[in-house]
Amino acid sequence: MEKITYGFKLFEGMQKDNLGYIYRGLFTQNITDSIISLAENNLESSGESSKVKKRVFSIMVECLQNVTRHQTPQNNANISPDQAGIFVIQNHNDAYQITSGNVVETNVIPHLEEMLNKINSLEKEDLKAYYKEILEDGSISDKGGAGLGLIEMARKSGNKLFFDFKTLNTNLSYFYLHTAISKDTENSFNEIDLNNIKNLHEIVNRENIILIYNGCLNQEGLIHLLSIIESQSIGAVEIKKKLFNIMVEMLQNIVKHGEKKDNELGGNPGIFFISESNNSYTLSTGNYIKKSKVDELSRKIDHVNSIDGDDLDMFYTKRLLNFDIDNSKEAGLGIIDLRMKSCNKLLYSFSEVNNDVSFFSLQVII
Amino acid sequence: MEAFIIEKTEETPEIILNPTENVFKISYRSLPENANGFYAPVFEWLEEFRENPTDDIQFIFELEYFNTASAKQIAKILLILEKISHDVSLEVIWKYRKEDGDMMSSGLRYSKLLDVEFTIQEIED
Repeated sequence: MEKITYGFKLFEGMQKDNLGYIYRGLFTQNITDSIISLAENNLESSGESSKVKKRVFSIMVECLQNVTRHQTPQNNANISPDQAGIFVIQNHNDAYQITSGNVVETNVIPHLEEMLNKINSLEKEDLKAYYKEILEDGSISDKGGAGLGLIEMARKSGNKLFFDFKTLNTNLSYFYLHTAISKDTENSFNEIDLNNIKNLHEIVNRENIILIYNGCLNQEGLIHLLSIIESQSIGAVEIKKKLFNIMVEMLQNIVKHGEKKDNELGGNPGIFFISESNNSYTLSTGNYIKKSKVDELSRKIDHVNSIDGDDLDMFYTKRLLNFDIDNSKEAGLGIIDLRMKSCNKLLYSFSEVNNDVSFFSLQVII
Repeated sequence: MEAFIIEKTEETPEIILNPTENVFKISYRSLPENANGFYAPVFEWLEEFRENPTDDIQFIFELEYFNTASAKQIAKILLILEKISHDVSLEVIWKYRKEDGDMMSSGLRYSKLLDVEFTIQEIED
């Protein structure tokens, strides 16, 4: 039970931060496409203006390209945990805060710093001129970038590029790059503390978390989250399939049974995260539910946890043929299916939020 | 009877019910948010077909994945097929990909519930 409390703590911490999502691992074309589609769906359903949306996307694209291009070693699925690339998007302080992180060789840091400081010193018009200058200069490095992407980011965001480095070993450092897209373009940030992100990154590394999603969830968002996991290079077909199955049931639980706490747009609020250790995966969800439903749900899970093998199988079949519980909301099978697929007991907890709703955390290990 | 065809999407299967060509097949994946709504027209079609079915039917399921909400709808389809099989010759063929133990078990489960010719078939990727 220790772990699940931890999960809830993570959620609590993030709710305050109103975090969007974190992806950590290998970046491929499929994965970056899904990350962008996920953001598209979120911004779409929260009614964001098309001007802000466009800026968020172009910056996301630049950031994701940066990470993809600079992830080292190239095309290697077995990167050591603290060297994996990371992408974070958060929605707070009335702005979309975007951070990317990737490994760089320590000896390029002075050059990188110089370039970033130069970009940050320029006003909008000067940035344009500088962009042209570099373009005409033609000295583009073999990894494709000569800072053009960074200039683009600075231009589109209307904010400075904030950055930081962390030493990994004698040759390698981790490079954090952050910018913000203010919803009201009049507002800009003079200073942003990257320590929060660095701390979060440490937790995510320590727990070997692949993906955290925190926000409103609808069916469309679910499909994008699924394709991020489908694109993971997980060896065994069976495990990958199980992951997919379990994710669908857990996330559809939020979509169908989740409760809104305030008047959230675009789906039910919830959190989902997935972590890996020694070929075992832990999937966690958290969402609000009506307080009046807590007892019934606890009983259901306890019952499913108390049986296994043939009994569990028979229970599933019984529910499968019970067409009385058969509406668009539930089939009564989700929890049983999770228990069967995971071959482990389901961990859960409830914590009271207010008079009407509680917070339900569920953890499934495979 | 006119054929019933639904093209696949990221969350719903391809469904072909074509008596003229003698093709009956549900394939790809099924995880719609509202499985009842999605499958309602399928039941409608099958119920009408049941009035006057064609003979020698092979009804193929070749699903990669279905969610629990769809599991129940599939059970309902199979129960209608069982009834149809009282009047004409009908075989259910449940295909699963090699290594997909869960999909094979699902087939086994359904086959035990039904009194209909039911073949479980492994296919290569």
